[in-house]
Amino acid sequence: MDTLVEILRPEFILRDALVGSVLVGAVCPLVGVYFVLRRMIFLGVALPQLSAAGIAFAFVAYRLVVGPHEHGNVNERSLAMAGAVAFTLGGILVLAALERGGRETVEARIGVTYAVAAALTVLFLVADPHGDAQMVNLLKGDILATTSASLGVLAWAFGAVVVVLFAFRKEFLLVSFDRDLAVVFRKRVGLWDLLLYLAIGVTISLGVMTAGPLVTFGFLVVPPLTARLVTRRMLSFSLTAAGLGATAAFAGFYCAYRFDLPLGPTEVALASLALGAVTSATMIGQWMASPRSAT
Amino acid sequence: MPNELIRLHDVSVGYEGRTVLNHLGFAVEEGEFLALLGPNGAGKTTLLRGLLGLLPVLGGRIEYHFDRAATPPGYVPQRETLDPIFPLTALEVVLMGTYARLRPLRHAGRRERTRAAECLGQVGLDAVAARPFWSLSGGQKQRVLIARALASEPRLLLLDEPTAGVDPGAAAVIMDVLFRLNRDQALTAVLVTHQIRLVRPLAQAVIWVDGGTAIKGPTAEMLAPERILDVFGAPATG
Repeated sequence: MDTLVEILRPEFILRDALVGSVLVGAVCPLVGVYFVLRRMIFLGVALPQLSAAGIAFAFVAYRLVVGPHEHGNVNERSLAMAGAVAFTLGGILVLAALERGGRETVEARIGVTYAVAAALTVLFLVADPHGDAQMVNLLKGDILATTSASLGVLAWAFGAVVVVLFAFRKEFLLVSFDRDLAVVFRKRVGLWDLLLYLAIGVTISLGVMTAGPLVTFGFLVVPPLTARLVTRRMLSFSLTAAGLGATAAFAGFYCAYRFDLPLGPTEVALASLALGAVTSATMIGQWMASPRSAT
Repeated sequence: MPNELIRLHDVSVGYEGRTVLNHLGFAVEEGEFLALLGPNGAGKTTLLRGLLGLLPVLGGRIEYHFDRAATPPGYVPQRETLDPIFPLTALEVVLMGTYARLRPLRHAGRRERTRAAECLGQVGLDAVAARPFWSLSGGQKQRVLIARALASEPRLLLLDEPTAGVDPGAAAVIMDVLFRLNRDQALTAVLVTHQIRLVRPLAQAVIWVDGGTAIKGPTAEMLAPERILDVFGAPATG
């Protein structure tokens, strides 16, 4: 209880990290809802990895174009953000274009994207002679290093994503559920897809920089999968997923701080625990309701 | 002369530059109940998708004598094309029909909800509004999709095999709903189907799709027993 009171105090030393963590936990599932509904869950693995490759590339490109740098001499977060957004958005757009015209399966394309992105991340890291532990932390996402300035950027960007997702939820639902109907209604299907991808790209890039690929992927898919089991409507699905993500992030932060555990894995483990519990409860409920259980 | 809603002028349609149907030249008239019939793989759905604007016209010209942006056709897809992973109630699915007239940033309000509920009533499904769409029977889902098409306030309904995969009783209910909409509201209906026996008493005209083209004619002539025997090798039983 003392720990809970401590982390809720305004002067708590890791307050920015706590707020950042909860923001990632709440907003990633809002975007992840569309990953689940569009059956693109594996894209949730590939895109954060692509984002990490973009961060590593940005530093190599800086060295090649501007010159050698020591960490701290350049605005690392801006550089990382540029690389992450460019790679994530580029990846989404290429995958979306291939989805329309390609002949391979979606899984194959996403698998190749993940493998290439993971390999490039390591190669870019090796190519940067100054790729030290600090750089590795940036790639992993060092949420405890969140500052007031980076939290401000995160809050504004995620705020914009949330506004877009709710303001245009009607359009995003229509193009995701029945694309043909959207075309018959003469809606700008490509434009809505692009806007959704933009929101996804920004969320993943910032999520990876703040919390790393593992946490970002975890929050993209686990809370929406849990919410899908207990909701019947689109709006409640999105809100429940965001609520579950935020709760798992807060509870994860508390456990990590209280028991000295690594933050990201603790958050994902707790979100997964909730998924396991809800899945079990649902299965038991279905079994109890089935005619066989009554005999 | 009845008003034409759509007129095809020597139209070719197909996929990715591959022509499936050629030399299409007929009209869909206001108030008509039209059945699109033909053997499997002949291109019935291709023609329907061409009329909907979902496939490019590879040759010729389609004239629409109504504003497709203001009054889009009511489209009823095959229910299997929709993914059951979406958590939607029957009413939410029908509400999507009202999106045709809603601009970005405007969300479905009381007027749209009332309209959606009325459309569910027209297909006899008022009672299932709050139920998850995917928990409904095949026939009920198909009727919800018809209600969704009605919610866009169309002048023309285009339906892709609305009775496929449903039991005979449910198929008869669906056909009865369509017949009443056509008779009572003069709503033009064009439906792809294999079930000749179901549409024979209802359709005023048939578009017969076969051999890379399609021709339109009165039902009695197009569904003459000798013609059916010639195409299917057996009398119509569907």
